Formats: sequence, C-alpha cells, structure tokens
Amino acid sequence: MPDARTAARRATGLARTLLLAIACLVMAAPFLWMAATSLMGQLEVFAAGRLFPESPLWSNYPEALTAQPFGRYFLNSLIFATVVVAGQVFTATTAGYAFARCDFPGRDTLFMVFLATMMVPAVIVLIPRFLMVDGLGWIDSYRGLVSTELVSVWGIFLMRQYFRTLPRELEDAARVDGAGHWRIFRSVALPLAKPAVATLALFAFIDAWKNFMWPLLVTRSMEMRVVEVGIAAFHSTYEINWPYQMVAGVVAALPIALLFLFTQRYFVRGIQLQGIR
Amino acid sequence: MRGEGAARVIPLVAAGAAAAAGVVILAVAADAPSRARERATRAEARAAASLYELPGVAEADVLSLLDGRARIVAPEAGGSGPGAHAYRAGALEPAAWIAVEPRDEGGRWPWAASVLALFGALCMAAWAAGRRRSPPPPRFPAAPAFLCAATFALVAVAAQQWAHGELGAMSSSRLAGALRAAEAAGAAGADFETAARAAGLPWASSAALGEPDRIWTMPREVGEAIAADPRLRSAARYTVAAGGATYHGGAVALRRGPGARAETPDDTLHLVFLGYEETASPTVALTAAALGSALVVSLVLFLLPLAARPRALSGTLAAWGFLTPAAALLLLFTFGPLLFSLWISLHDWRLVDPAHPFAGLANYRALLSDGAWWSAVRNTGVFTLHVPLAMAVALSLALLTRESRRAVRWARLALFLPSITSVVAIAVVWKWLLNDGYGLANRALGAIGLGPVAWLSSPDAALVSLMVIGVWMVVGYQMVVFQAGLAAIPRVWYDAARVDGAGPWQRFRHITLPGLRHTLFFVLVTSVIGSFQVFGLVYVMTEGGPLGATDVAVYHIYREAWEFLRFGNAAAMSWILFGVVFAATWLHFRLLERRGAHA
Repeated sequence: MPDARTAARRATGLARTLLLAIACLVMAAPFLWMAATSLMGQLEVFAAGRLFPESPLWSNYPEALTAQPFGRYFLNSLIFATVVVAGQVFTATTAGYAFARCDFPGRDTLFMVFLATMMVPAVIVLIPRFLMVDGLGWIDSYRGLVSTELVSVWGIFLMRQYFRTLPRELEDAARVDGAGHWRIFRSVALPLAKPAVATLALFAFIDAWKNFMWPLLVTRSMEMRVVEVGIAAFHSTYEINWPYQMVAGVVAALPIALLFLFTQRYFVRGIQLQGIR
Repeated sequence: MRGEGAARVIPLVAAGAAAAAGVVILAVAADAPSRARERATRAEARAAASLYELPGVAEADVLSLLDGRARIVAPEAGGSGPGAHAYRAGALEPAAWIAVEPRDEGGRWPWAASVLALFGALCMAAWAAGRRRSPPPPRFPAAPAFLCAATFALVAVAAQQWAHGELGAMSSSRLAGALRAAEAAGAAGADFETAARAAGLPWASSAALGEPDRIWTMPREVGEAIAADPRLRSAARYTVAAGGATYHGGAVALRRGPGARAETPDDTLHLVFLGYEETASPTVALTAAALGSALVVSLVLFLLPLAARPRALSGTLAAWGFLTPAAALLLLFTFGPLLFSLWISLHDWRLVDPAHPFAGLANYRALLSDGAWWSAVRNTGVFTLHVPLAMAVALSLALLTRESRRAVRWARLALFLPSITSVVAIAVVWKWLLNDGYGLANRALGAIGLGPVAWLSSPDAALVSLMVIGVWMVVGYQMVVFQAGLAAIPRVWYDAARVDGAGPWQRFRHITLPGLRHTLFFVLVTSVIGSFQVFGLVYVMTEGGPLGATDVAVYHIYREAWEFLRFGNAAAMSWILFGVVFAATWLHFRLLERRGAHA
C-alpha cells in the first residue's frame, strides 16, 4: 500500500516535471530559433527542413553589427537607462520616505492622487509631452529623452511600502541624538532600504531599456537612437535578411537575459511586493 | 483660536474668489468679440470709403456692401453720430463721408458660462454655510477645491466657446463683405491691387502673399461659408502680419466669369479676408491664474493654523522638502500634460499650423462616427481577450511549480524572459517565426501534414497571432505574481480541507481561488491596462495591417498624431481610450466588490 502511494506520487512528480519542461521548451523556442537563425547563411534560412545552421556562421555578428552604429545605440540606451535609474531612485526614495515617515496635512489624499496616475494610459501624456519637449527645443537630445522619465509613481509606492516596514525605533534613536529629517533619511532609512532600492533600480533600468515609443518620438538622428529604435530601423532596412535581424535581436535580448540571470532574486521580490499589499 | 478664525474665513474667501473669478472670466471672454467687432466695423467703413472713391462704382454697390448699415452723410459734414466710423471719400462727389454704425449683431452674453459661474458661486456659498456648523477640517478640503477648479474650467471653456462662435460669425460676414467689395471694384474695372485695397485689405498684394500653404486649414465657419458660395473655387490660408498683430486669414480664388468687364493678368483674383486675430487666449491664462491663486490661498489659509504648532509646521516643511523633486516632476510632466492634452483635444490642433482654432467638442463628435477609430478600439478589445487566457496558463504553471522550489528556479528564466526582453526584438523574432513560407510555425505544421497558415498576412489570423504572442509575453510575469499569491495562502487551510475529505478540485475551488482573489484582480487590472497600450508589437510586425485588422488604439493614435499630424484628434482619441480603460477597471472593481460582499 505505501509502495503504491509512493509510486503514484513519483508518477505525478514526473508528469509535473515533464509538463513544465514542455512549457519551458515552448516558451524558449522563439529564443532558440532566433539564436539558430542568427548563425545561418542568408539563403540557408530558406532551405527546406533546415532548422539549425550546418556550420555556425559567426561572421554574421560583426557584419550585422557594423551595418549600423549599434555601438552608439547601446551607448545611448546605457546613458538613457542610467540617468533614468538615478533620477527615479532619487525621486522615489525621497517621496516614498515623506509618504511613509512624515506627518503632514493632506498626505493620504496626495498619495492617492499620485497613485491615480498609474491608471492613466501613457499615450494621453505622450502628445503634450512631445509638444513640450519640442517647444523647449529638446527633440533629438539626451535632455528630451530623459527629462520626462525621471519619476515613477510605482517606485514611490514601492519605497513607501518598504519604509513603512522599517522599525520606527531606529529613527527615534537618531532623533534623540539630534539628527534632522535629512540626516535620518540619509544615514538610517536609506541604508536599510538597500534591497528595495536595488529592486527599484533594476525595474527602472529594464523599463528604460525596453522603452520604445518615447525614444521613437523624440529622437530623429541615427546618433541619438537607442537600441530599441535602432533595431526597429534595422528591421525595416534589412527586411529580408533574417540572420542579420536575428543577430540584432540576440544582441538586444542578451544584456537583459544576463541581468536577469544574476538578479533574479530582486526581480521576484519586486513583483511580489507589488502583487500583495 | 487663530486657527479657528482662519478656518471660518476660508470658505467666505473661497466663495468670493469663485464668484469674482467667474465674473472676470466672462468679462474677458465678452471683451474679445466686442473688440473684434469694433475692428471689423472700422475696416468696413474704410473699405466702403475706398470703394466709393473708385471710378465706375455706383453708390448702390457701396450700400449693398454694407447691407444698409452705411450712411452717406452730406458733403463736408465731417464726423457723425456717436460710435460711428466715418471715412472721407471723394470720387463722385467732392467729398462724402461714409459713416458706418457699429454692428449690432451677435453679442449675446455667454449665458452657459454665466449659469456655470453662478452655480459655482452657489456651491461655494452652500459649502461655506454648511462649514460653519461643523468643526474645522482635519484635512485639506479636497472636494470643494476640486469642485471649485472644475467649475472654473467649465466656465472658461463655455466662455471661450462662446467668444469663438462670435469671432467665427464675424469672420464669415467679413468674408462676405470683402467679396462683395472686390466684386464691385472688379466690375468697375479696377485692377487686382485696387480691388484688394477696396476690399479693405491693404496688405493683399500678390507679391506679399507668396505661395499659400495647402496643408493649412480654414476655420470651420469660413470653410462652410466658402463651401456655400459657388463663386469660390479654391481656398488657402495665410498668416499675415500687419499693424503689429498677426492675422490668420483665408485667401480664396475668385473666378472671374467671361462676362466680366475688367481684364486682369490671370482670370482668378486672390482675395484675402481677415479671419480673426490670433492672440494668446486671455481666458486661459486668466483661468490658470485664478485656479492657481485659489489653490494657493486656500492652502495657505489651511496651513495657517499649523503655524501655531511649530513642531507640526517644521514636519510639514520637511515633508515638502522631500516631496519636491517628485512632485515638481509629476506636476511638470504628468499633471500638466494631462490638462494640456485635454486642452489640445478641444482644439483643431495640427503640428504644421501655428493657429490652433478652438473646436469645442467637435473632435470628439467627429470620432463618434469614425469607423476606423472604433475598429481600432474593437481590435484593442479583442486583443485584450488574451489576458484571461494568459492568466489561466499562468495560474496552471504557478500551481505546477508550487511544490518544488528547484523546478521553479530553472524554469523561471525560460518562462520569465519573454516578459522582460526588448519588445522590438521579440516582434522581429516572431515575425520571422510566423513567416508565411519559411517560419518555424508553418514548418512545424507542415511536418505533421497541415497546410501553411497565413499567420500575419491574412486579416482573420493576424490579430489572433498577436494574441498568442501576447499570451507568451505576459505568462511568466503573471506566474511569478501568482506564485507569491499562492505562497500567502496558509497551508493549514488545505490540511483542514483534506481532513474534511475535499478533493483537489474542491480545494482549488474553495481555497485557492478565494485566497487568490486580490492577486487575480491585481493581475487582471494591470494586464488589461498593459494590453490596452500595446504598440511596439503592432508597429514592428504588422503596421496595423493587413487591411487594418491589427490596427490597435495606441497605434491608431500614433499614426493620427505623428503621421497625419492631427494632434487635436489624437488627443481626443487618447481621452476616449482613457475612458474605456477607466470604465473597464471600474467595472472589474465593482464586480469584485460585489462578489467580495457575498462571499
């Protein structure tokens, strides 16, 4: 009897693993297909029954990547994402601290007003933001690219939630020692909030890296394009050269995949923090 | 004590400010048409006088130009009655004075705005009366402040619309007058320059005009006037700087028939008429100032009691110090643009055209019957149906990985990668994967003997293909959220249910699902909001095609704004989209609440 039960449990466990493996394969198939195609010849991809390269054609990579200034695209994306991360971390930690730890009239109303903006589709503010940036003459510049993205209400929410979980006694101790608000924030609250800051920075970085529509609108020249816009442009230029396009896809996906591989923990925490209140 | 006194003063000050602001807004709005009317009258008198000077023009022509509002005063009589504009002309007679009475048309007081202003003031007064009996407010009186703001905004819009209507009517009557003048002058044998001068438009020389810009559009009223007049064949719009002001006028080519007496170099005569003066709208600036000052005053009065408690005051100041960076950026790049977007949506706003004539709700009204837009909305709705599907898959995956932590860790990368990778790269890969002849999908189908499917090139399949990609993209993210939700359900419940003899389905139905209620709601709302904003996939993969089958709302808005440069329309569309999203979310909320109450 116990044997039968163990066998049944083992069978369900096996079925479970098998199902999961199939799911993972289906989910990963496009990426595998992308990697495979990126190493094939331009005509080889059209051959019947050929799913994998006969011999990997590594020269696709240098050729495709020099066809357009991808180095510049990456640099732009990196600058864009870094500045956005710095800005969002600064605004979210300060505002989150105010909402979590300061008492002032109208605090909860103001917080609700902030949160309400998360309901608004981004496309509404896109047109006026574009006109504003255009009016300032910031089209096709880093200023125009970055300035609208420096604050994230989601980040403020995240930091507020986190600051609220910190024990108040620590701050009270600092206050007794004569520390002011800013001092407490800098030396007590912020160091304790490092995990939340890491999560916020990660998400801000990925969101900035993935941001397509805004850079598409505010950049004109090739020198100002970010990776996403660059790949879209590359795609329309090399419409039928699939290996080259897959090279671009691999190169765009790889940094994010690596980042995710090493920072899974923070990702999962970030998602779980927003899912449960 | 000081605080209480201040609290009592606030409502009175606010009500007074509301009433005063309403009155000032109305006065400014009414002033614009009356000044324009004055200008038009003067221009007409001048036109009549110069027409009168032309040889060959009969007195009847002059009188018909002015619709009987002109008097030809006795020679050398000088001046004329109060408010009349008189000009001296002397071709037929030694010197005649053309006197034109100021127009008495239009000039209805903006009654809608008045009613609104009155209503606002009444609301504030009622609130003030009610306030007196209750204790001082513990929080900033947000509801009255917003009511006040909304009333101001409505008053301003109503007043603006009224003033715009007045100016528009004036423009079309001015067009008619100028046409009559030029016709009369032309009939008398005058050349182009003279005819233009006679029409009261001294700057309308052909050299000054250059090439008209065909993209520009006429103000609505003028366009209608031109459409109604068979003599006018084509129209273009000019911006003319004269006398220190910028005028936006329309030019129409007046075709001269074969029976016409005079011969001009070409057989068309360009007429420029004065549209209306485009200046910064004072109503708007005023409303903004009134709103801002009302808010600041009420805030100061509200914070005044705090001054009595230094500790609280310093806390508040510190909090605002912390909030300033985020609040300033949000104000500048989110709240400001929200209002700006609403403002744009009420105007005929085109990128290439410096004039943005007020259009009221015309953009919205036009959208109601715009089939392409509603088909885009419908496509977005259909696309959003992938969300429940994805949630079902994600929930099963979350349940599947619930037991073993090891499986989770290695599966996560494969499952999660699609939701964080670059959307453009994903779109390119899928475009290749769904390629008609050589894509992986059709090769796999071919291997099991099924015919190729035109995934992206047939209107029936394209949207479904996008939905499949949509599922693929969000499943991993949703799974992680569900895993967190599942982990929060106490194990004891399951054990208790098992003791009671509940099967797996019953445990799922009565413990897992209710336990995940909030998580499900969260995932549903965020995914629906996200899927309403799908753009990159469509932009790269289908460009809205084939035959508009995948034209989703955001892509439609993008094209309207950045391809056709119709920002006013696009802004109106984005507000409609917001309305749809908001309604959907609200509905979910209500449903959830009701179910929660019953459970």
